[in-house]
Amino acid sequence: MNAITFTGVSKSYGDVRAVETLDLEIAAGQAVALLGPNGAGKSTSINMLLGLARPTAGTVAVFGQSPDAAVRAGWVGAMPQDGALVPGLTVREIVEFVRGLYPEPMPLDEVLSLANLTPLAKRRVDRLSGGQAQRVKFAIAVAGAPRLLVLDEPTAAMDVESRRSFWASMRAYAAGGRTILFATHYLEEADENADRVIVISRGRVVADGTAQEIKSATGGRTVRFTIGDQPTAGLDTLPGVTGIEVRAGSVRLRTTDPDATVRALYASGVEVRDLEVKGADLEEAFLSLTGDN
Amino acid sequence: MLRYLALEIRRTYRDRRFVFFAVAIPVGFYLLWSNIFAKNDVDAGTGLDAKTYLLVSMAAYGALGASLTTTGARLAAERRSGWLRQLQVTPLRPWAVITAKMLASMCLALPSVILVGLVAVVVQGVHLSPGEWAGLIGVIWIGSLPFAALGTLIGSLVGPDAAQPLTVACYVLLALLGGMWMSVSILPKTMRTIAHWTPSNRFVELGWSVVAGHVPPASDALVLAGWTVVLGALAIAAYRRATVRS
Repeated sequence: MNAITFTGVSKSYGDVRAVETLDLEIAAGQAVALLGPNGAGKSTSINMLLGLARPTAGTVAVFGQSPDAAVRAGWVGAMPQDGALVPGLTVREIVEFVRGLYPEPMPLDEVLSLANLTPLAKRRVDRLSGGQAQRVKFAIAVAGAPRLLVLDEPTAAMDVESRRSFWASMRAYAAGGRTILFATHYLEEADENADRVIVISRGRVVADGTAQEIKSATGGRTVRFTIGDQPTAGLDTLPGVTGIEVRAGSVRLRTTDPDATVRALYASGVEVRDLEVKGADLEEAFLSLTGDN
Repeated sequence: MLRYLALEIRRTYRDRRFVFFAVAIPVGFYLLWSNIFAKNDVDAGTGLDAKTYLLVSMAAYGALGASLTTTGARLAAERRSGWLRQLQVTPLRPWAVITAKMLASMCLALPSVILVGLVAVVVQGVHLSPGEWAGLIGVIWIGSLPFAALGTLIGSLVGPDAAQPLTVACYVLLALLGGMWMSVSILPKTMRTIAHWTPSNRFVELGWSVVAGHVPPASDALVLAGWTVVLGALAIAAYRRATVRS
């Protein structure tokens, strides 16, 4: 059975269409990234998945049930983007409380150590830094040992170090065969932590596959070099070239066949300096997919 | 739901503002006023001496403060901050959250009656029979419900910035019209009529009747019940609207 199924789901707020027709199937046990720029419809989709928003049309199913039923059954744990902790409680108390709401929670010590909170267990949650509070929210999300873990931009407000340890915790949780869906606009997070990346833009899915597939499906490689003030005409017709960008005497060619491009480049008589060939990173793939350039 | 009830109560005790409004102020006022008024003054309406009369007034006043401050501004802040949203993605249902909140708020009205009562006994030598104590505590506990509902209504309707002053305004107005600070008989006639229909006045009247050894008049209980039903229904409707899944 699929962990998540979106069938013809759309969502409008008044005249604004936040999500266009969305059809999506996520198998149980996958770690999936929902990648897209701000305003792409990530949070709206996640809110519909959690039962916090109702689709205007279509249906959302979580393990074959409605989102409400799945949440009530304790199958879902989540870090909603606008979730918050309540003041006046210690880390341990709040985690213990949430554990108690689920039918088969994870042992308390395990939750605390997974979220790197053991030394902070007795600290009041209103006295935590932003990154620490974010870890408590993660602990709350996993405390019930849910089959589906949903994280909406979990590393916002975290510094680099906390981000690294956060993803290590997330992968440790995923290793137990659980299904994970996380939204992010950090490409490297999707690249490093997801088995599958779904790119959405303006409320639609624009790409769906492994990070590798998405990279190779779009843009291929980049050839960069310095050209100075020589003419750039004709560079865009070199073999394999799919795009060109000239900026301050520096050229960037996007190509599907870098060998052929470079060979033809040297044969063309242009004086080339500082040549560099790079695999397209997800950033470029992402920009070309979301069509912002 | 019981877990959430326990959680609410536990974290409220750590809130200094709560302890101040709901416990320190009524106890302080009791000590102040019971010393100002001659100890053997007898209230014409209830037949109670000042120290006993004030015990009920201040216990009720503390209960009113506790049930309003633990709901109103606090609920508004939790709505804004996202804690309620966080709870919505756990198996805990919204109706359980609101029920636990109201129950917690009623339970949190109890320390004021117990502490004011203790001070009244120890410092002023007030004597009530066990039955009267039980009756007073019971009346204060159940009678706090309409105020818990009012606080929930405020907290569900407006944001945290507006909820705080609005709660305090309701608190002061209800205490004043309820006759908790001074007898409503000194108010002008129109005000007196309004005061007569407020839930706070009926609340404290019930308390006075109980400690005076009377069977409380059914009209007091009925008016209070009426307020409870109306405010409760409004609170539930407002809370549902505030947590609606759009």
